Amino acid sequence: MSRKNHLERHYTKWGYIFVIPFVVVFLIFSFWPMASTIYYAFCYLKHAGNTNPELLTTIGKPWYQNFKEVFTAKSFWDAFKNTIVFFLASTIPEWLLAFWLAAMMTDRRMKIKGRFLWKTAFFFPKLVAGSTLGYAVLDQIISVVFQGSGYTMAAFMMNGFGFREKDLEFLTSVQFVIILTTLFMHFGITFIYAIAGITGIPVEVFEAAEIDGANRAQTFFRVTLPSMRPMLFFITVVSVVDGIGMYDIPSLFGPFDTFRRNLTLMMYMEKQAFAGSYAYDKASAASLVLLAIYILMSGIIYFLFLRDKDEARLKKLNREKERELARSI
Amino acid sequence: MSNNVLTLSEDKKRTIALKITTYVVSILLTIMILTPLYYMLKSTFGEEVKIVHGAGDNTQIVITPREHSITLKEFKALFTRGDLIGFRNSMFVTCLSTFLNMYFSALTAYAITAYEWKLRAAFEKFIIVAMMIPSTVASIGFVQMCYRLHLINNLTMLIIPALATPMTVFFIRMYLKATFSREIVESARLDGAGEFRIFNQIMLPLMKPAIATQTIFCFVASWTDEWVPRIILIDTKKDIFTLPLAGSYQGGALLMFLPPIILYIFLSKHIVEGIALGSVKA
Repeated sequence: MSRKNHLERHYTKWGYIFVIPFVVVFLIFSFWPMASTIYYAFCYLKHAGNTNPELLTTIGKPWYQNFKEVFTAKSFWDAFKNTIVFFLASTIPEWLLAFWLAAMMTDRRMKIKGRFLWKTAFFFPKLVAGSTLGYAVLDQIISVVFQGSGYTMAAFMMNGFGFREKDLEFLTSVQFVIILTTLFMHFGITFIYAIAGITGIPVEVFEAAEIDGANRAQTFFRVTLPSMRPMLFFITVVSVVDGIGMYDIPSLFGPFDTFRRNLTLMMYMEKQAFAGSYAYDKASAASLVLLAIYILMSGIIYFLFLRDKDEARLKKLNREKERELARSI
Repeated sequence: MSNNVLTLSEDKKRTIALKITTYVVSILLTIMILTPLYYMLKSTFGEEVKIVHGAGDNTQIVITPREHSITLKEFKALFTRGDLIGFRNSMFVTCLSTFLNMYFSALTAYAITAYEWKLRAAFEKFIIVAMMIPSTVASIGFVQMCYRLHLINNLTMLIIPALATPMTVFFIRMYLKATFSREIVESARLDGAGEFRIFNQIMLPLMKPAIATQTIFCFVASWTDEWVPRIILIDTKKDIFTLPLAGSYQGGALLMFLPPIILYIFLSKHIVEGIALGSVKA
């Protein structure tokens, strides 16, 4: 046994050797920029190509100057609101649709055919429509679909249900088109990962649930979802990272929409740092807000999916028992 | 007994109803997704399609139809010089960065799985934290670094950072957790193979499904990335720009969507089993 331990120890150094490239590149190209971004948020750093940050306190300004400028700008709050609205409004329906379809297509009793074809079709927009043109046409078509069918449907509905034409106008608004396009672009990814997660669960688990008389909804929420927790975590992270960092689809509607209907936080950052006065300092402050949102979201996701609830409960119980024991003594 | 039979047939009815709903929804979705592609191709081959911003919130479309079918000369004219340069640069950047991303992510994931080093658990936690905070947040610091290193307007900065992508590491690690077997490694060691050789010749082929899946996603992400090229390739006079920046609406669009499709055709058969095995918790 000691020989085996010795052998294992002999090999452990390879663990360190193999992660060296990753760690080095990560430190230089991710960690260092992150740290310097935080530093710049408290500096004066304007004009294109300026690489000489000056701490705000040394030039006689309060340290929170950049944050004050960001938080008092109305455009920042518009960007903040838009980002959250776009993210929630596109992700929630996307998830419902993707998981419902994935559950249906993997249902053993239903035997849906052509799963591979559906997957390819749903993933197609992401695959080909990456170009500016692709997005643009996607937007156009969606608005055509709604202008055409939407208004005819409106004509039907208006008589009986008391709808007016104005009530349906939101269907052609910039915000709605952005949300819908994002939903379509991202839907395929969630769908593919969801299918993969469900098919990874051993068949016996579903058989047992079936024998115990669980219906479809019960099986999905009590068996399927808990069994694919790591994959669920992965899907959520992909959704949050893509959703909060939304940039290319909204920016199709022009970077300087006077009503700021399409402005997201990433676009706000670009507008501050890479145009006009090249205010790197203000943009750094804005990216710290973005960072805060990510950290908050990640915390929520982590506690939802990765923390072992049963283990935590066990620990709590043990602690209570110990306390009781101590009291009784 | 009869009661039992009744519930069985009811269940069957419900199953059929659900089946029909699923098919209908899928077909509708497919139509909604695929019609834009038809229009996209149409506009690529010379039909003019334009977005017009109408009054207030509305957007409208104007389509000018094409009079005759396309000739070879016209087809050639679709590709501008910018398209071709952009294509070459994009190909270079995307292929190299995807390769680096895959190889080193696999190496890192293997290091976490196969060896019992002291900081292993801490490193895995670190990967999870790092994947939840995308590098785009640190764009300002990144651009400033490019200026300082005089690597602005240089394709290198689009390639090297891809080497450390926590998201891919996590995914491959998820797959390895379920499929890794220590016996293979040990028997290879007995045969006298070195650690690098074991990884390159034995483990890497075993990870193929997970790597193939991530290759598709990462290739597409890098190929269509607009953000990083836009902020660091700022001198438009030089021949350093990628295809999304070239912004051509005709030949460029064709060049843009062909490579991902070709890649997908080759790798798609791995997607299913790749992630399927990946989600089993070991």
